[in-house]
Amino acid sequence: MQLPLFEYHRPASLDEALATLGTAGSSLAVLGGGTDLLINLKLRLERPRALLSVRELPELAGVSVDAAGTLRIGAGERLTDLATHPLLVARYPGLAQAIRAVGSRHVRNMATLGGNLCLPTRCWYTNQSEGWRGSQLPCWKTEGQVCHVIKTASNCRAIHSADSVPALIALDARLLLRSSQGERELPLADFYRDDGIENNVLAPGELVIAVLVPPARLRSVFVKAAARTGLDYGYATLAGALGGSNRAPKSLLLVAGSVGTMPMVLHQSARIILADGLTEASIEAAADAARDDLGEVTNLFTPPGYKKRLVRGLVRRVLNELRRQKLPAAD
Amino acid sequence: MTRQLITLIVNGDRYQVPVAPHETLLDVIRDQVALTGTKRGCTSGACGVCTVQGEDGRAVLSCLALAIEWDNRPVTTIEGVAGEDELHPVQKAFLEYGAVQCGACTPGLIMTAKALLDENPDPDEEAINEALAGALCRCTGHIKVKIAVREAIKAMVADAAAEDSHGV
Amino acid sequence: MASRKADLAVVGRDQPRLDGAHKLTGRSLFTDDVVLPGMLHAKIVRSPHARARILSIDTSAALALPGVKAVITHADAPKLYVGIEQPLFRQEIVNYIGDEVAAVAALDEATAAEAAALIKVEYEPLPALFTIQDATRPDAFLIHAKAKGNIAWQQAQDLGDVEQGFAGSAHVRTDTYTTNASHNCYAEFHVAIADWSLPDKLSMYTPTQTAILFQKSLAGALRLSDGQVRIMNLNTGGGFTGRTSVRPHHDVAAVLSRKTGRPVKVRATADEEFIACRAGGEVKYTFRTGVSDTGQIKAFEADITFDTGAYVESQMIVLTLTSSYIHSLYKIEASRYSGRLVHTNNIPYYFHHGGGLAQMAFGLGQHMDALARELGMDPIDFHLQNGVTKGHTSMTGTFFGSCGLAECIRKTAKQAGWKRKYGKLPPLKGIGIGVGAMASGAKGVFKHDTSAAFIKIVDDGSMSLFVGLPDMGQSSHTAMAMIAAEVLGAQATDITVISGDTDIVPLDVGALIQRGTFNTGNAVKAAALDARKQLEVLAAARLGVKPSQLVFRDRQVYPKGQPDKAIPLKKIVYDTLHSREGRFVMGRGFYNSPKESGTMAYSFGAQIAEVTIDPDTGFVTVDRIVASHDVGRAINPRIVEGQIDGQVFSGLSQVLYEQTLLENGQVMNPSRLDYRLPRSYEMPKVEHIIVESIDPFGPFGAKEVGEGPIVCTLPAVANAVANALGEPVNEMPITPWKILQILGRRAKARAGS
Repeated sequence: MQLPLFEYHRPASLDEALATLGTAGSSLAVLGGGTDLLINLKLRLERPRALLSVRELPELAGVSVDAAGTLRIGAGERLTDLATHPLLVARYPGLAQAIRAVGSRHVRNMATLGGNLCLPTRCWYTNQSEGWRGSQLPCWKTEGQVCHVIKTASNCRAIHSADSVPALIALDARLLLRSSQGERELPLADFYRDDGIENNVLAPGELVIAVLVPPARLRSVFVKAAARTGLDYGYATLAGALGGSNRAPKSLLLVAGSVGTMPMVLHQSARIILADGLTEASIEAAADAARDDLGEVTNLFTPPGYKKRLVRGLVRRVLNELRRQKLPAAD
Repeated sequence: MTRQLITLIVNGDRYQVPVAPHETLLDVIRDQVALTGTKRGCTSGACGVCTVQGEDGRAVLSCLALAIEWDNRPVTTIEGVAGEDELHPVQKAFLEYGAVQCGACTPGLIMTAKALLDENPDPDEEAINEALAGALCRCTGHIKVKIAVREAIKAMVADAAAEDSHGV
Repeated sequence: MASRKADLAVVGRDQPRLDGAHKLTGRSLFTDDVVLPGMLHAKIVRSPHARARILSIDTSAALALPGVKAVITHADAPKLYVGIEQPLFRQEIVNYIGDEVAAVAALDEATAAEAAALIKVEYEPLPALFTIQDATRPDAFLIHAKAKGNIAWQQAQDLGDVEQGFAGSAHVRTDTYTTNASHNCYAEFHVAIADWSLPDKLSMYTPTQTAILFQKSLAGALRLSDGQVRIMNLNTGGGFTGRTSVRPHHDVAAVLSRKTGRPVKVRATADEEFIACRAGGEVKYTFRTGVSDTGQIKAFEADITFDTGAYVESQMIVLTLTSSYIHSLYKIEASRYSGRLVHTNNIPYYFHHGGGLAQMAFGLGQHMDALARELGMDPIDFHLQNGVTKGHTSMTGTFFGSCGLAECIRKTAKQAGWKRKYGKLPPLKGIGIGVGAMASGAKGVFKHDTSAAFIKIVDDGSMSLFVGLPDMGQSSHTAMAMIAAEVLGAQATDITVISGDTDIVPLDVGALIQRGTFNTGNAVKAAALDARKQLEVLAAARLGVKPSQLVFRDRQVYPKGQPDKAIPLKKIVYDTLHSREGRFVMGRGFYNSPKESGTMAYSFGAQIAEVTIDPDTGFVTVDRIVASHDVGRAINPRIVEGQIDGQVFSGLSQVLYEQTLLENGQVMNPSRLDYRLPRSYEMPKVEHIIVESIDPFGPFGAKEVGEGPIVCTLPAVANAVANALGEPVNEMPITPWKILQILGRRAKARAGS
């Protein structure tokens, strides 16, 4: 597969990048590590006139903790560097695990966090070559009027499978966005939309600058159920972050990934644990309750019924691991 | 389509090559620099046969790297791994322990294994699996590849020890 | 006469592959690396419909595109058939998604792709058939008029008195299984470069397992004589039964080259690979076996239906292979076979790794295991009781001159700790055994099964060995050099193996039906003996002994028992040439099985797999494989291990991971990412036990190791999963969802009881 023709811009500064982004609009695609974008270009899923390479911008670099204890991760950071970053490994093990679960080591050497946060959804009716797609009626994503996965769906139900996202949402992370108009911050959970095409709320001209993780001492775990370890999209993933003790948990967020167009927060399962603490019985009950929160899952690559069973198993696993994990040390 | 003249530094040699933005590092290494040891496989990052090392020594999928981004940045390809008359310890181990069969994935596997050992001279089983998972090998099923990587580590440790004992 | 191991200087010792350093340094050339002067690039226009009528083809826009040199359609190759019944391009009806309709050659790949997209084909879509079940309904339309009932080919046979066999059985068990479509997925994609710029010679670079079949097939299709077609297979990046026949892209490259007068290259793109390669389709099996109350098989019946897809080529061979397999493994007194190839509007199928037999063994192994359990027998005892033995002649006429089956079973069981584990493992852990047999070559493709070899020795003692056997990774060329070196008292590294060019090398049916080591090995041995005979003349005279008293070893020649009198081999060679007679040493030899049909030798194996099931996800982890294989003689032991490893990988991968997922004839996972082959994490440790039964007919006693191990892996892993679940699994691959479903059902049943 060959890439289509495009122009290439490497802005010297963030301001230049934002200015270019502001004027070019949708004819411009932002290039991070390229490990997803270039594949989609080869498949002719996107046809930008130009690519804007942002990876080298200094404002997008760095992992730091401010005086208040907020962790800031630049969107241009490579996933390999993050997965092995001592601070992440020690204090945010679930996040390090999640980042390590993205693609293969080869991919993580190139891919950026920003790229993973903005990962388009994926579906086997669309993420195919142009020739292949010629055998199918166009779907929502390819300018048609149907979803091949869920026939009754009124929008695209392709799967969001960015592994870092559930882990960050479980940590209550916020996203820092900037455009030539200014800067804004929003909870990462609010960044995503229940639509396989426009799956986030990034405004035209906006660029993801960094992720901010609020200060908190949490235990955190991420598990991915994929056919293969080390290179695969998950059938489902689950991230959990827990504050407090096993007996008296103070906070718990459980977030499932790769089950639909956006990450799904499992409120009911978390409520059970927050009420009863982490016990064998509560873990089983929380696992059983996952089904209610999942609602409609996208059964793509797997037959109906499997993903819900799988998430049930993953909730059990994540909670058991959280129960065993030691609270990360304070600084 | 405008082409830009860039300097590609491959295995220490500098090549002035005109590249268009859409040309991948893989295309340019194979078609313009004429080093065909770097293989063309799935061209979508899943098979690893196109693996080269970037300036930081890490494994790079040359099918997903734009050549234009590699101006003046060193790249190591399979042709740059062996010494003048001697194979690299990873290559030696692959040969001796039967980790090379059809050879189509071999350059990618060697680059992958070398990138691992350049970064981490003493990887555990997990790190070996992590590194190799991005490269596909149907013939060996990775079994002898994993053995060869472990043997290469031993040989490199032994070499280093021998060098130390001779002193400088 | 079989040589003792100690008598052998080269054979039986680890020899790194001779082309290894080239492969490891990026110097090895593959077809995709070849650039010929003036070479054009081609793209194929394929049908997007599983079945449709072609209403019109408009190539004008494509032809008008700058850089386009030729466009071809059915009109350019009206009587050109790929295989038996597949026209190179369709004129009227397309029969599968991917069916070739046109092709274009241009200056570069991008232009060719652009031009291909500009070729406007109008279709009228027609109903299509996608399953064996639908295609065999009485009212189903016919995909090809001559294939009544959509049966492309069928074979039935009774051996012995089957009815009496079942009537006299104390227990009869029937099981049905399904194996799904799968793909070979080798590292090197399908590619061909054709140069037919001059009318009387077509040269083609392409990876292949058999240059001779490619030569014959292309010559026949393109109306050339065999000698006018030159096949150059440089390195072949994996075979796995997937490169045994010409595919349409080979003919496309040739026709475009003729039309343009320039070399033309076609390379499959990532997803096209899944169409161009074809691999294996869905298969449905019913096995019925009758046994005495002591577990002796009295009668066996197999009914097998293969989805052969839109066209047949030479897939009918799978019927012959599957019909006789049981007789190569068990002593059978009566058997019935009924097999058929059914047309559908899926991809034309061929074979996946294991050639139809490994896939059959998935069910057959579970069936026999279940039968043994039903009788209260340990499966190991069942296999030992019924397995073939040395000296046995099967009902199909095969004589087993060597047989290490029982030794394999016993040694594997001992090393795996079978007695300690079988039936005693904790929940969700399983152990299973698979046994198998495999032919080392067979007549059937042609009347002969010939391999030939030349060897020349130059006066520094170095040698060139010419063979037609391709090496697609199995290290056969190194094995051939070792055999020649053993005979001539040389080292394998003294020998350069020349292969991969039909203009140069002698005939060889190729690397299929696991015939390389056995047939080509025997040919090489004969050629080396012929060369040695030429050297013996001078050596015997110098040393004053009879030629039969001479020993050739370690680059020396000496009288038996008197190594102190040794003369360097290269001196003998030098003096043989540098004399008044000027004798240049050239050995030649060939081997053809003396049998009318069938196989001279079978290899045998037994594998034991241990697995763990994850009840949360349904994933299966293979924890350990113990693999023993009777290879007759291991020419190159570490390479033999590597062959076993690769097949263990492929076998467990087929049982647990691989599937070409189809929806209305379209491959849904046509990529190296979504067609899930396991990788480093998923591979267990493999323990090898090499059994050497020293076959009386094999070169130095050697038999095949090309597919013998894989026919053991599939049943071993399947039986281990069945053991962990407590019931057989009737469909391959065994998916996580299937596992969770079974676990859920069994838990419910337990709760209810």
